Amino acid sequence: MTDVHTPREQAAAQGEETVSFGTTETEPDATGGGAGTGPSAGWLRWGWRQLTSMRTALVLLFLLALGSVPGSVLPQQGSDPAAVQQYYASHPALAPWLNHLGLFNVFAAPWFAAVYLLLFTSLVGCVVPRTFKLAGSARTPPPRAPRNLGRLPHSASFPSSLAPGAAVDAAAAMLGGQRFRLRRPASGDSGHWVSAEKGYLREAGNLLFHLALLGVLVSIALGGLFGYKADKLLVEGQRFSDTMQALDEFHPGRLVSGSDLAPFSLTLDRFSASYLRSGDSRGQPSDFNATVTYSPSPGAPSRTYNIRINDPLPVDSTKIYLIGHGYAPVFKVTDSHGNVAYNEATPFIPANTGTFLSDGVVKAPDASLGFMGVFVPTAVSVGGTLESAFPADDFPAVSLIGYSGNLGMNSGVPQSVYQLNTAGMTKVAGSPHLMLPGQTWTLPGGRGAITFVGVRQWVSLAITYDPGQVPALVCGMLALGGLLLSFLVRRRRVFVRAVPAASGSGSVVTVGGLARTDASGGFEEEFAELAAELAAQQKPEPNNQSEAGA
Amino acid sequence: MSVNLGLAQVSGDFLVAAIVIYSLAVIGFAGDFAFGRPRRAKAAGAALASGGHAAQLATVGAGQGAAQGASGGGVSEAPGAAGAPGLADGAQAVPADAGSGGAGSSDAALPARQVPALRAIWEAGPWVRAAVAFSALGILAHLVAVVTRGFAVHRAPWGNMYEFVTALTCVAAIFFCYVMVRYRAWALGVFVMGAVVVALGLAETVIYTAAGPLVPALQSYWLSIHVTAMTLATGIFFVAAVLGVMYLVVERYRARVAAGKAQPGNGLLARIPSAAQLDKLTYRTVVFGFPIWTFGVIAGAIWADQAWGRYWGWDPVETWAFITWVLYACYLHARATAGWRGRRAHYIQLLGFASLTFNMLVVQVFITGMHSYAGVG
Repeated sequence: MTDVHTPREQAAAQGEETVSFGTTETEPDATGGGAGTGPSAGWLRWGWRQLTSMRTALVLLFLLALGSVPGSVLPQQGSDPAAVQQYYASHPALAPWLNHLGLFNVFAAPWFAAVYLLLFTSLVGCVVPRTFKLAGSARTPPPRAPRNLGRLPHSASFPSSLAPGAAVDAAAAMLGGQRFRLRRPASGDSGHWVSAEKGYLREAGNLLFHLALLGVLVSIALGGLFGYKADKLLVEGQRFSDTMQALDEFHPGRLVSGSDLAPFSLTLDRFSASYLRSGDSRGQPSDFNATVTYSPSPGAPSRTYNIRINDPLPVDSTKIYLIGHGYAPVFKVTDSHGNVAYNEATPFIPANTGTFLSDGVVKAPDASLGFMGVFVPTAVSVGGTLESAFPADDFPAVSLIGYSGNLGMNSGVPQSVYQLNTAGMTKVAGSPHLMLPGQTWTLPGGRGAITFVGVRQWVSLAITYDPGQVPALVCGMLALGGLLLSFLVRRRRVFVRAVPAASGSGSVVTVGGLARTDASGGFEEEFAELAAELAAQQKPEPNNQSEAGA
Repeated sequence: MSVNLGLAQVSGDFLVAAIVIYSLAVIGFAGDFAFGRPRRAKAAGAALASGGHAAQLATVGAGQGAAQGASGGGVSEAPGAAGAPGLADGAQAVPADAGSGGAGSSDAALPARQVPALRAIWEAGPWVRAAVAFSALGILAHLVAVVTRGFAVHRAPWGNMYEFVTALTCVAAIFFCYVMVRYRAWALGVFVMGAVVVALGLAETVIYTAAGPLVPALQSYWLSIHVTAMTLATGIFFVAAVLGVMYLVVERYRARVAAGKAQPGNGLLARIPSAAQLDKLTYRTVVFGFPIWTFGVIAGAIWADQAWGRYWGWDPVETWAFITWVLYACYLHARATAGWRGRRAHYIQLLGFASLTFNMLVVQVFITGMHSYAGVG
C-alpha cells in the first residue's frame, strides 16, 4: 500500500483535523503573487479570490434577491406594457427616472445581468477548482488515524477476542464490505489501525447542483436567442396563417427571423365559455374551450383540436395557447346611398374582466362614419347607466356614440384599430344609442345606418417556440438531484485502532467517527450501529479465548 | 361537478374541532412549562445514569473502555456542555478538545433515540403526555377536515388561500410533531403548536372562503403537484421559522448569561433546548424543506409552460418564489461561511420566511398577476 502523504495531511491526522475539516471556502492563503509575477498579476489574483469567495457569492445572492423586488412591485414592460403606460400617466415625474434605472424591465436590465453574471462567474471560480479537488480526493486515501480516537466527536471502545492486528483486519474487512475507502498503516508506521472514508458522492452532488444551475442559465439564453413568442387575435370563423404579416405581435429571439415561423394555418371554429350561475362565486368561469381546425403545413390534411387553458395545441415544436377571450359584435354600416361600407365582426376589449363590459370602435371611412361603443353581454340598467350583470352573452346590447366626418385614416399616420380620432368629426345627434341584436339605427340627416347584426366571440392565441425549454427542465431536475445528493449523503470518516489488552489475551478496540457534513442528520445513529456491529463481530467468547490469538 | 355542501360543512366543523383540540395541546405544553419538573437537570441526571451508546458499549467492556466511553459518547445535555461555543455542524465548529471530560460530545448533538418514542413520551410527565395526545387528536381532526374538503370539492383541497393555509398548517403540525418526538423536544410544543393555532384561527376568521369549484386555469393535475409541494415546503419552513425565532431568543439569553447580565436560572429559557441544538434543528428543517421548495418551483414552471406558454415569466408570485429560494440558499451558504454563522444566518432564514409569507398573504392577494387565485375579497 502506498503511503505518500504531504506534511499537512499528516498534521491533519494528528487531531487538528477535527477543526479544519469541513471548511468549504477558499482557504486563507499567503497574500501576493509569487516571485516573478508583477503587482498587477497579484491584484488580479487577489480580485479573483475575492470574487470566488463564499462571502462575495453570499452578497451577490443577496443582491439578486433584492434586485428582484422592484420587478414584482413595479409594472414590467415584459409582462404588462399597458400597466407601464399607466404608471407613466399617473407618476409623470418619477417614471422617467425609474425607466433610466431599468426598473420597468428589471430582469433584462444591465445591472441585473451584471449581478447574476458575477454570481455565476463566482460560482464557476468556486466550482471548477472544487471539481479538480474532488477528482484528486477520489484518488487519495483517507488520512491516517488520529492517535486518540476518544477525542473525535463520536467514539466507542470495546474488548476484542482477537489480537490487535487481526482485530483491525477484521474491522477493515467489514468497513471495506460497506464500501468505505480504506487506509492501513504503511510498513514504517507503528500501531494497528485503519482509516475509512465514505460519501464522496456528497461533493459530487454539490457540484452537480451548481453546474446544473449554470445549465439553466444557458437554457434560458438559448430560448432568448432562438425562441419566439407571437400573439394573434382571432374571431370565430376566422382563419389565419402563421406569417409575420398575419400576427398581431411578434417577439422574436435575437437570432430568429419571420421565415423561422412554423408554417401552419388555423381556423377558429367555435369558442365556448361557461360560468358558474349560482353560489358565492357566481360569474366565475368554469370552462373555456376553443375548437380549432388546423393544418401543420400547407397542403397537409387538416385536423381539429380543442384548445383549453392547460391544454395547448402542439404543432411541430411550437405550441398554441389560449390566453384570452372576448366578444366581437358584428356590425353592418351603410352609407348615405345605402351601399354597405362595413360588415364585420369587431373585437371589443373587455374593460371589466368580471362582467365583460367591453369597449371598441367601428370605423367605416368609406361612409365617413365612426362609432365608439360599449358592449355588455348581459345588459342591465343601473341608475340609467348600461352595465353588465353576467359575463355570458345572455342578453347582449351595445351602446354607440356616432361620429361623422373624416376619420383621418388617409393622413398616413398609423392608427390603432381600438381608438377613434374624433378631432375632425362631429357627434351624431341621438348618441349614445342603445341597440339589441338585429336592430338598426338610422342616423339622422340621411348620413347612413348601422345594424347590430349579432355577437361572436374572439380568442387571443399565443404561439410560442422555446428550444431552451427541455434543456432547462433537464438542468432543473439535475439541480434537484444534485441538491438531494449533497443533502442526503454525508461524507464521514471512521477510524479503528487496537491495542493489546491489559489482561494479555485479545485487545481493546477503539472506534472514532467524524462526519464532515451531516445536513440531514443521522451520523450519530449510523456510527452507533457501526460500532455495535464491530463489537459484535469481535465479541470475546469465554470458551474460545485461546483461539483468538491465532 | 357540484360542490357537496354537506361534506364542506363537515370539513368546517372538523377544522373548528381541530383548533379547539390544538388549543388544549398548547395548554398542555404550557402546563409542562409551569408545573413540570425542570428538564435540564433531569436530562443531565438521566444522561449520567444511562449514558449514550458509548457508555452502553463500555459496560460490555471493562476498565479503560468505560472511561473512554463516558468521555466520548452520545451524552447530549451534559451540564458542562451548555457553555460551549459550538454552533455549526458538530465536527465543523466544535473543537473536539473544547470541553474536558464529560463535555467531549458537542453541545449541538441532539438527543439520540435511546428509548422508544412512546416510552419517552410517557416519561416526559403528565403534562407532556396530555399535550402530545391532544396534538395527535388535533392532527386527526385537521386531516379529516382537509380530506373532507377535498371530497366536497372533488379536487386537491388547496385551490384558494383559505384551503392553502389549512393544508399547510396541517403539514406543519404533523412535521413538527415528528421532529418533537424524534428529538424529544417537548419544550418546543407550546411555540409551534401555538403558532399553528394562531394561523388556523386567522384562516378561519379573516380569509374563510366557501367551498367552490376552480377557475379553468387551476383545472390541472399540476395543482396537486405544484401546490402540494409548495404546501409541504411552506409547512416545513413554518416550523423552521419558529425554531429560528427561538434560537435568537435563547442565543440572546445565553450571551447575556455569558456576559453576566442575566442569572442562569431555572426559568422558561433554561428549559428549552440549547441554542446550538436549536441551530442544528433549524438547519435540518430547512435542509428538508429546501429541495421540496425547489421541486415546487420546477413543477410550477412546468405548469406555467402548459397554461401560459412560458415556463418563467417573472410574474410577481414567481418573482417572490425566486426571492424566497435565493434567501434560503443564502441561509444554507451562510452557515458554511465564517462570520455569518449563528445569529446572522438565522436572520437570513427568517427573512426567507418573511418573503414567503409576504408572497402568500400580500402578493397573491393584492398584486395582480397571473397567480391571482386567492379568492379573498
